[in-house]
Amino acid sequence: MIETEILVIGGGPAGLCAAVEAAEHGAKVLLLDDKDVLGGQLIKQTHRFFGSQQQYAGVRGIDIAGILIRNAEKFGVELMPGATVTAIYDDGVVLAAAADRTIKIRPEKMVVATGAYENTLAFPNCDLPGVYGAGAVQTLMNVNGVAPGERVLMVGAGNIGLIVTYQLLQAGIRVAAIVEAADKVGGYYVHANKIRRLGVPILLRHTVKYALGKDGVEGAVIVRLDDKFRPVTGTERALDVDTICLAVGLTPLTELLWNAGCEMKYVSQLGGHVAWHDEDMRTSRGDIYVAGDASGIEEASSAMIEGKVAGLNAAYMLKRDTGLTSEVREERLKNYHDQLYRLRRGPFGEKARVGKSVLTGAPMPAAGPIESTPHSDATFSKGARVVIECEQNIPCNPCEATCPHGAITVGDDIVNYPVLDPARCNACGICVVNCPGLALFVINRDYSETETEIMLPYEFLPLPNKGDRVDAFDRKGNFACRATVSRVIKSKKFDRTALVSLVVEDKYADVVRSFRVNGGQKTERTEKAAGDVPDDMDTVICVCEDVTRRQIEEAIDRDGARSIDEIKRLLRCGMGPCQGKTCQRLIMQILSRKLNRNIEEFKPQTYRGPMKPVPLGLLAKANNEEKD
Amino acid sequence: MKKKTDVVIIGGGVVGTSIAYNLAKNGVTDVVVVERDTLSCGSTGRCAGGVRQQWSEPSNVRLARASIDIFKRFREEMGRDIGLVEGGYLLCAHTDEEAERFKETVAMQREVGADVRIVTPEEMRDITPYLNADGMILGAYCPDDCHGDPFQTTQGYAENAKRLGVDIELHTEVTAIKKKGRRATAVVTNRGEIECNWVVNAAGGYSAEVGAMAGVDIPTKSYRHQIAVTEPIRRIQEPLIVDFCVNIYFCQTAHGSFLAGYGDDTEKPGHNVRSTWQFLQEISRRLTALVPALRDISVVRQWAGLYNMSPDAQPILGKVSDEVENFICAVGFSGHGFMLAPITGVLMAELITYGETRTLPIDGLSIKRFEGGVRSAEANVV
Ligand SMILES: Cc1cc2nc3c(=O)[nH]c(=O)nc-3n(C[C@H](O)[C@H](O)[C@H](O)COP(=O)(O)OP(=O)(O)OC[C@H]3O[C@@H](n4cnc5c(N)ncnc54)[C@H](O)[C@@H]3O)c2cc1C
Ligand SMILES: Cc1cc2nc3c(=O)[nH]c(=O)nc-3n(C[C@H](O)[C@H](O)[C@H](O)COP(=O)(O)OP(=O)(O)OC[C@H]3O[C@@H](n4cnc5c(N)ncnc54)[C@H](O)[C@@H]3O)c2cc1C
Ligand code: SF4
Ligand code: SF4
Repeated sequence: MIETEILVIGGGPAGLCAAVEAAEHGAKVLLLDDKDVLGGQLIKQTHRFFGSQQQYAGVRGIDIAGILIRNAEKFGVELMPGATVTAIYDDGVVLAAAADRTIKIRPEKMVVATGAYENTLAFPNCDLPGVYGAGAVQTLMNVNGVAPGERVLMVGAGNIGLIVTYQLLQAGIRVAAIVEAADKVGGYYVHANKIRRLGVPILLRHTVKYALGKDGVEGAVIVRLDDKFRPVTGTERALDVDTICLAVGLTPLTELLWNAGCEMKYVSQLGGHVAWHDEDMRTSRGDIYVAGDASGIEEASSAMIEGKVAGLNAAYMLKRDTGLTSEVREERLKNYHDQLYRLRRGPFGEKARVGKSVLTGAPMPAAGPIESTPHSDATFSKGARVVIECEQNIPCNPCEATCPHGAITVGDDIVNYPVLDPARCNACGICVVNCPGLALFVINRDYSETETEIMLPYEFLPLPNKGDRVDAFDRKGNFACRATVSRVIKSKKFDRTALVSLVVEDKYADVVRSFRVNGGQKTERTEKAAGDVPDDMDTVICVCEDVTRRQIEEAIDRDGARSIDEIKRLLRCGMGPCQGKTCQRLIMQILSRKLNRNIEEFKPQTYRGPMKPVPLGLLAKANNEEKD
Repeated sequence: MKKKTDVVIIGGGVVGTSIAYNLAKNGVTDVVVVERDTLSCGSTGRCAGGVRQQWSEPSNVRLARASIDIFKRFREEMGRDIGLVEGGYLLCAHTDEEAERFKETVAMQREVGADVRIVTPEEMRDITPYLNADGMILGAYCPDDCHGDPFQTTQGYAENAKRLGVDIELHTEVTAIKKKGRRATAVVTNRGEIECNWVVNAAGGYSAEVGAMAGVDIPTKSYRHQIAVTEPIRRIQEPLIVDFCVNIYFCQTAHGSFLAGYGDDTEKPGHNVRSTWQFLQEISRRLTALVPALRDISVVRQWAGLYNMSPDAQPILGKVSDEVENFICAVGFSGHGFMLAPITGVLMAELITYGETRTLPIDGLSIKRFEGGVRSAEANVV
């Protein structure tokens, strides 16, 4: 039995920050993560992060993980990767399983920072090989270096769908289209713009109807949706793809919190059920704190601050006096809450803002006035300077932070628009490489009498050479003109983003925003003929136990099942190794539709430990050792 | 929900639904089953589903035999597959004393008509090749015994009862029982009152609490029993194996997973059904000692349920007090309420329909047997 003061479960940004904060204030901290590499979601993220400089904005996710791990080591946090927490028992003992042993820990306080899991979508043939979640695609590409397929349909235009699409393109994989059921892009426009100008269409009010193929995906039939999200018959189109990537949202991973008996609440804005918690991130079980996506789906930036809040409070509540005074705690908390408030102010923070206030019943902090200035335009006719094409109030400020001349201002309120002071800008291009949205371009009107030079951020290989003639494209990915490469700047300081300058006729100054070396990433869309869904095509809902939609509907209609637990007992769905992570949400949706009740009225299945299968031999061994 | 009915059955476990179905089959269809949560949410949904005739008390053997006949016909009669594994039951003896006792009870069981026999350790290995029979002296084997799925069984009873006209009210908790003179007149629930002619207590682990609502003292107490289940593997074991010395029972379900459990004799009675890590470790040790091949197989879940125990570990059936003559109990099933449910349903339905049981006598299981202390307790409880 390991005795520790604070146990942190989950080594993503939230968990690592919680551990560092608590250790910094003198607590003895142990951190467990089920993966062999710490960092959580961060290790899959090869793009530069949003957020504020305090949360390492502008740094690539994977590098943020490194910084946090080094911090944890510095403050003496004991790190234990490769150990899955399988249950939290009533006597406060936490059981974890590693590859070759089980571990029992008795902590005084715990921080649960287990992150989130991906939602899935059910459609006929969704169980074919070649249908992946976005997370799996990211792991394949960015961690294992394997291409998931050659031609991909992306489902979902939230930030994850947009970012993963961009990463697929970077890996040289074609993306036929992104379909999005809503009538607008859910993610940041700067992310959407990156993809549009590379020629990937984003089809709003569209979804995937079914997958084609027998032993693997051979195509996808997409369909338009009406304003009530019903498929419009006759609008089906078949796309020639071998991979369907689902990026349809995340659900907080709370099984340990259910298991531990924390009071849970369904808050749709936070992504599903979360443990009730107060501003100190403390749950109804006073010894358990939460942070990050597990406490409501948000961002790495807020996950880090929540982690600090949880770690600080857990350390403060220890029986032993660690030297952390109430003054220091107050001061830090004030600072952290202020940062959270600022991050959550813009339109993208609204879900968290509303969600957290629904959860605690505390009044919602006002969004406050957000300054809006029209973004700088490229229609100036003399001189050289940056143009900012960042048109939403997103929490981001590396442009301001990295400009050596103070030419861009975002201000304390990180969701403000970046505003350019043209007089200060000397067109150096430093902000261009550091903008995670790739939304900055340097336009030099004085290149020649009739030509303009446009400096673009470029994150593809191979790089062009000076003097190359390339195809230049507009913001939607349509061919604009031919252009000549006038400069290629690579620098260690720029990390892996290069600056490429193109020379175009003046009239293209406000048109050209991307280019392709030999038409490289151009995605040809060959469309197949769409067929009707064959009558016998059923949809697999629970993959572990192979339970279909029809069986679940029958359990509701014929057997009168009205809850997840009843359906589980009848059909075994959710009893497989994933403990319902894939199917539960889908079953709730079926129940809610069939019974015409709100989804939050359905309680998830009863979570029983161990949350991850543990070999009998390992448990027996632990027992024998204790007896000896 | 009905305001008035003939029979109210408290409890939507396998016992309550079996009684409801059998009543309806006898033509008593004006029946309401009230269940505070969902069907099978109590002990039924938490049990191992074992069905055996190997008991030390003749009355238990008789009841179990009658039940087995019903289980084997279940699919035909009810139109539902209950995942019955007809692999028998194997009991293991480690000491001479235990071996002697086995021999005696097997003789008695055979007299009552059960096809039970004593087997040597070699024969035990033939029956179930993966069993580590080292240190075992002999076994008692009954190939007729079986195990099945308690959810499907309860569901089968419930849907057939409904088909015959019974109402099943879920999420309906009984909070009081109204009486007039020597009769219970209505049950009070969180959703209103139901007037009735009969009240049946089939409340499993809460039988004493429901008894108290009727003003009757029922001598049952509930004890936590924990259980664990593994991932499914190919079939390697047919019988359900019981080892009293080690204190464990385990079987491989129709689905392929192993179920294994035991109760901790040192625990105090109560309604705690939370799981412990101590159990998880200990059951793993006991199971892998008896079936070493399972070492690399993983546990996927653990849970706990209640054994509702009477002083002699046998059920209490029928009227429990002259003070409330229309209050019927089917409680105190210890670890064998699933297997006795089919026959219990038949008997309790007969009692209500005809005023007496016809299939088997139940005098020996009346609450009156405890007057003057416990005479003979069931010994084969695990
Ligand atoms: C494609 C994509 C792009 C993103 N881009 C940005 C961005 O630009 N800016 C931004 O701020 N955010 C971004 N995010 C969001 C960000 O990654 C997450 O919000 C953040 O990682 C949440 O941190 P966390 O610590 O709560 O959870 P996670 O990072 O998910 O970490 C949780 C950890 O806990 C572990 N764990 C879970 N259960 C157990 C258990 N039982 N035992 C032990 N360990 C366990 C998990 O394996 C994981 O390592 C992006 C996310 C994705 C998917
Ligand atoms: C771990 C374990 C293993 C077992 N293994 C076996 C085995 O192998 N073979 C076997 O035969 N037996 C076994 N048993 C015993 C068996 O589970 C029980 O004897 C049997 O399920 C009892 O059924 P029941 O319907 O009487 O009780 P329950 O299934 O407990 O049903 C009683 C119902 O009454 C409801 N209720 C209680 N109070 C109220 C109220 N006030 N209002 C409304 N509803 C109420 C409860 O919610 C519950 O659903 C095992 C038990 C356990 C715990
Ligand atoms: S181009 Fe250089 S000077 Fe101009 S805003 Fe960007 S970083 Fe500042
Ligand atoms: S322009 Fe500034 S605020 Fe906008 S995405 Fe780029 S760095 Fe962020």
